[in-house]
Amino acid sequence: MDNAALLAKIEALEAAVALTKTINAEVFYWWCTALMVAIHAGFLAYEMGASRAKNALASGLKNLLAFAFLVPTFYFFGWWIYLAFPTGFTVSDAAAAGLPWSESMGPNLGDNASGIFWAAFTLFAATTASIMSGAVIERIRMSAFTILAILLGGFVWILGASWGWHPNGWLTSQWGLHDVGAAGCVHTIAGFFTLGVLINLGPRIGRFTSDGKVVHIAGHNMPMSLIGLMLIVMGFFGFLGGCIIYNGGTWMTIYNTPATLSAFAFNTLMGVAGGMIGAYVVTRDPFWMMSGALIGVISSAPGLDVYHPALAFLISFVGGLAIPKIADFILERLKIDDAVGAVAVHGFGGVWGLVAAGIFAAGYPNVEGPAVSFLGQFMSMLVFVVLGFVPGYLASYALKALGVLRVAPAAEIAGLDIAEVPVKAYPEATIPAYGTSVMSPAE
Amino acid sequence: MNSAPITAWEGAKAYFTFADRPGVLMFFCAVAIVACAASIASMMRHETSCSKKLG
Repeated sequence: MDNAALLAKIEALEAAVALTKTINAEVFYWWCTALMVAIHAGFLAYEMGASRAKNALASGLKNLLAFAFLVPTFYFFGWWIYLAFPTGFTVSDAAAAGLPWSESMGPNLGDNASGIFWAAFTLFAATTASIMSGAVIERIRMSAFTILAILLGGFVWILGASWGWHPNGWLTSQWGLHDVGAAGCVHTIAGFFTLGVLINLGPRIGRFTSDGKVVHIAGHNMPMSLIGLMLIVMGFFGFLGGCIIYNGGTWMTIYNTPATLSAFAFNTLMGVAGGMIGAYVVTRDPFWMMSGALIGVISSAPGLDVYHPALAFLISFVGGLAIPKIADFILERLKIDDAVGAVAVHGFGGVWGLVAAGIFAAGYPNVEGPAVSFLGQFMSMLVFVVLGFVPGYLASYALKALGVLRVAPAAEIAGLDIAEVPVKAYPEATIPAYGTSVMSPAE
Repeated sequence: MNSAPITAWEGAKAYFTFADRPGVLMFFCAVAIVACAASIASMMRHETSCSKKLG
């Protein structure tokens, strides 16, 4: 074989390897996105189970609506926001690629990346909206929830992601923020947005006695909730896989620092276990144990790439011990009816995760900006808290002022299924609480 | 209606329908956004009507 033929073979081989890398990367994010759908199956089951039988389908419908509306919203606005605002509020030149009429935002043989990254981010967006949806069940108007979900998933969280979960985000380039698993932009923002909404929404009828005592409102299907929570944990493997940048050859964090998927595997599992055990110790409650699994993932998320697995376990264990107590405080002292503990699990879980990375991951260098520090993590956490809370509070305040935030008391008492849903959850069930005849619990 | 922005696959990049006509794409986006907004408005009407039926 002469030199020219050899060179041609080498060039062909190099082209084949490059194509394989590109396709591997596409395939990787495709399946991460598919796995993330399990998060939504999980939220669906979890929230329907946590609702009383008379509201089961309405709660599920709310989840389906959030998912369905978030996809187009994130296509029209969300991806552009992510590309536009890494430096704050000035629009970056890169934003043009995120406009829905740009060449990158549709089938393009020269762009194997935009669609697959957009899809993964869209599922992150839908996750933020789902975080809010459990807290507000059984009394929010479907339309108000949809508007708030679009605001949170299509605008607010992605602005936070542009600031703090982007290779050039100003929280990293100026303060050294390290949050590889998106505890801040997804969980903290969604948790505090939810808190703002709950303040205006108010508790479910009958949640508190006239002298302020808490009345326990049990969901109608705890096993369904537990399975749902386990599905969310499974989906988080897609979520966290989608948080790591794979270019077909190497793995990097969103901040362009080197990483391995193995690191994420060690610490995700150890975090899940730590959170579950911690929550079990303080509650003995399987619902909180599975919420503890989420707390564990969120607590370790910012440092999944660098923590020793035992440290990830301990950080998540502490989260599992503390967060159920914070949920009690929010309910009993602040009199805020968060039906599933979302503010505590996601909001304060994210706060703890970000601060813990400041304590235990300080000193790691960044590619852009200063090294990881406690102060940088703490200040970034405050930014996420404010960025979540203020829009959630203001938007729900406006909806309340217009009289469209909450269902009418008659509908809430009768049950939202009978009020608004044309099908029955359990058409042949006999529920003693509703009498002895065969009937829908919604009747 | 000829929606193809290409006449051959050789060298083709953005090949989705109307890729060479941004004005048409903007129109589709605007209509899709209106469809979403109208769906939410319809949801609100449904809620109000259900609420009235319950008294």
